[in-house]
Amino acid sequence: MHLSSAEETIQRLIFSLSELEQLGQTLISGHSNFKVSSKTYLRITLGTLQVRRGAILCYHETDNYLSIAASTPEIDDTQLDIEPDEVGCLLESSSVELDTPPEDLQNFINRNSKLLIDNSMHRLWVPLKIHDEFLGILCLGEFLGRAKLEEWEQELLTILAHQISIAIAYSRNEERIQSEKFRLFMLAESAPQICQLLQPEDAAEQVVHQAVALLDSNVGALMLIQANQPNLELHYAFPPDILVSDDTEHDPEKKFIISMEDGDESDPKTSQQMLVNVVKEGRTGQCPAKMDSLFGGRTLMAGPIQGRDGDVLGVLAVGDKEERGGRIAEYTFEDETLLDSFAKQAGVAIENAHLHQEALEARQLQAEMEEARKIQENLIPETLPEIPGYEVAGHYEPRGPVGGDYFDCIELPAGGWGLAIADVSGKGMQAALLMATLRAGLISELSSATISEGSELDDMKNELIDMAMTLNSLLYVSGTEEKYATFFYSHLCPETDTLTSLNGGHNPPLIVKNSGDIVWLGDEVGGLPLGMFPNDMVPLIAKYEAEQTKLESGDLVIFYTDGVTETVNIDDEFYDDERLEQVAKSCSEIDASQICERVYRSVMDFQGNADQFDDLTLLVLRKQ
Amino acid sequence: MANKFDIQVRAENKYAVLETAGYLNDALGEDLSKKAQELIQKGYTQLVINLEQTALINSIGISILIEIIEALDERDGTLNFCGLSATQERTFRMMAIAKYAGIFPDEKTAIANF
Repeated sequence: MHLSSAEETIQRLIFSLSELEQLGQTLISGHSNFKVSSKTYLRITLGTLQVRRGAILCYHETDNYLSIAASTPEIDDTQLDIEPDEVGCLLESSSVELDTPPEDLQNFINRNSKLLIDNSMHRLWVPLKIHDEFLGILCLGEFLGRAKLEEWEQELLTILAHQISIAIAYSRNEERIQSEKFRLFMLAESAPQICQLLQPEDAAEQVVHQAVALLDSNVGALMLIQANQPNLELHYAFPPDILVSDDTEHDPEKKFIISMEDGDESDPKTSQQMLVNVVKEGRTGQCPAKMDSLFGGRTLMAGPIQGRDGDVLGVLAVGDKEERGGRIAEYTFEDETLLDSFAKQAGVAIENAHLHQEALEARQLQAEMEEARKIQENLIPETLPEIPGYEVAGHYEPRGPVGGDYFDCIELPAGGWGLAIADVSGKGMQAALLMATLRAGLISELSSATISEGSELDDMKNELIDMAMTLNSLLYVSGTEEKYATFFYSHLCPETDTLTSLNGGHNPPLIVKNSGDIVWLGDEVGGLPLGMFPNDMVPLIAKYEAEQTKLESGDLVIFYTDGVTETVNIDDEFYDDERLEQVAKSCSEIDASQICERVYRSVMDFQGNADQFDDLTLLVLRKQ
Repeated sequence: MANKFDIQVRAENKYAVLETAGYLNDALGEDLSKKAQELIQKGYTQLVINLEQTALINSIGISILIEIIEALDERDGTLNFCGLSATQERTFRMMAIAKYAGIFPDEKTAIANF
C-alpha cells in the first residue's frame, strides 16, 4: 500500500502522540526513571522524524560532563566533558546545526568529534532545558530522504525535546526526593539501632557502616582519642584494610594511630591533620581531593564524635562519595549537616557501649577482688601455735583493694619454728595467687628443712639462702615482671634462743631489747624481693644473706608490712619508723596479743579519717 | 559486613535468582543491573534478588533496584526480594519498593509466590 505524503505525516503524528501519551502516563504513575524511559523517548523521536541515528545526552552539573542516556546505534557509556561557557551557549540556542555551529561550541565539537561524527550524530542538536536549567542534548544524525526537517517536523521536534526535558527533570527530582527520603529514613532508623549495641566493637562497626551508606560513600573510619594519650586510635574502618601503616601492616594486633601533637593546625595539608583539627575544633571538616593521604587521594569528610557532656571522643570520617556512574563527588553542605547529625547520635551510642563495657569490667573486677580476698584470708592463719618460752601473736587488717600481705608461724619437722611475713606487689587475683604460690613454696621448703638446734651457723644460713633462691625461682616463673614479693623469714630455735633471719627486700623487723634498746633485724643483710629477677641474676645484683640474733628474756620482735609505717594521716604524714619505735618501747609490761593490739591502735589513731590503700599486717614474738 | 563484592546468577526454566554479596553501592548495583538486564533480554520476567549477604545498601543501590523493577514492569514481569534484614525491609516499604515488588523471608517462598 502506498501512502500519500499527507497520510504518512498523519500516521507519524498519531504514532508519536500515542507513544507520548503512554509515556506521560508512565511519568505520572511514579515509574519515571529516565534511565529506563530514555530509550523509548529516543525511539519515538527517531521514528517520528524518520532519523536513523541519534542520542540523548544528560548533563551532570556538579562535575560538568554529559553522559549518554540512550543512543542508536548503542554506544558504550562515555562521558563528554563540557565547559560552563559551552553550556551557556547551548542554553541560548533553540537548536544547533552542526554544519554551521556557533563559535563558542566549536571547541566542544572538536573535542568530541570522534564520538559524535563516527556515530553520525552530527546533523542537528537540540539543547534540552527547562527555563534556565540545562539538562542535556538531543543529538540527531542525517534525516532520511531529505536535507532538512520540514516546518511541522521542527515544531514536533521542539515538542518532543520539551517532553524529554520534562522527563529528565522529573526523573532527577524523583531521584533527589527518593535519595533525601532514604537518607532521612536511614538517619531516623540508625539511631535506635546503634544505641542498642552494647559491645564497643559492634557499635564502632555499625556506626561506620551506617555513615558510609547514609552518605553514599565507599570508605569510612571511626577513630577515638586514646586514654591518657594525645593520639587518635582507629577503632573500625571500612573496608577493613583501608587504613594501614608500616606498623599495622606487619603486626595486625597494632592499631592505626594518628598523633594529635604533630603538624600545623592552621595549615591542614593532610587528611590526618584535618581529622586532628576536627577533634580539636569540634566541628565537621572536609579534605579536598589530592590532599587525602589516608584514603588514597579522594574526597574525605569528617565530623566530631561527642559524648553526652559535649566532650569530643573522636572523629567519624567518610570518604570517596560516589555518584551514579562511579564518579567520585565532593561532599556538599547538606552532607556535612547530615554527618554532623549522625555523628551526634553515634557519639551517644559509642559512649553508651563504652560505659556498659566499663560497668561490666568493674563488676568482673569486683567479683575477682572478692574471690581474691577469700583466697587471701584463707591463707592467713586463724590461730598461731604455742611456742615454749615465747608468746606469739598476729594481726591482719585488709584495707582498700586486695593486696598480698601474708604472715605465718610454722612448726618445723626437724625442730624449731619458722616465722614469715611477706607483701606481694599488685592487687587482685594475680596478687592473691602469687601469695598462695609463695605460701605453698614456703611450706614445702620448710617441711624438708634440716636445720635444728644442733646445726652449724653456716649450715643454717646456707639453708635459708637456698630456700630464698628456690622461692625466688618459683615466684619468678609464676608471675610477670611487675609481680614480686618482699619477704622476711626468721628461724627460731627456742632451745638456743636464736633467731636466724633472711631478708628478701622487706621492711626490717624491730627488736626492742629488754634493756629498751632498739635493733632493726636484718637491716645489715642484703637481699632482693622474691620473683623480681631470675636466679642467675640475683648474685650479680644483691645476693641473699642471713644473720643470727640471740634473744633474751623480755625481748620483743615486731614483724610488720609497709602498711604499718606507710599509713598516712589527714596531713599526708607517714606513721613512720619513729612512731613504731615509740609505741614498741611502751610495750615492755604486756603480752604479745596486747602488743599487737596496742601497735594496731596506735596506727589507727594516727590514721584518723584518712583513706588507706595498703593492708596492715603485724606479727609479734616475745620471749617470756 | 563482608567486604566481598559478588553477584551469583542462577537461571532456571521460568525464573532466575540473583544473589548479591557485599555493599550494594554504585559498583555492585551497576553489575546487578547489567545481569538483570541480560536476563530480561533473554526473556526472564520473573526474578528473585536475594540480599542475604548484603548488609548495607546506599541510595544509589536503592535507585538501581527501582530501575530493575521498572525494567521488569515494562515487560509485565515480577521481581521478588528475599533475605532482607528487618531494617532493609522497613526501608523497602518506606521507599515504596514493596509496592511494586514482593518481599519474602527466603528464596523458596519468593519463588513459590510468582
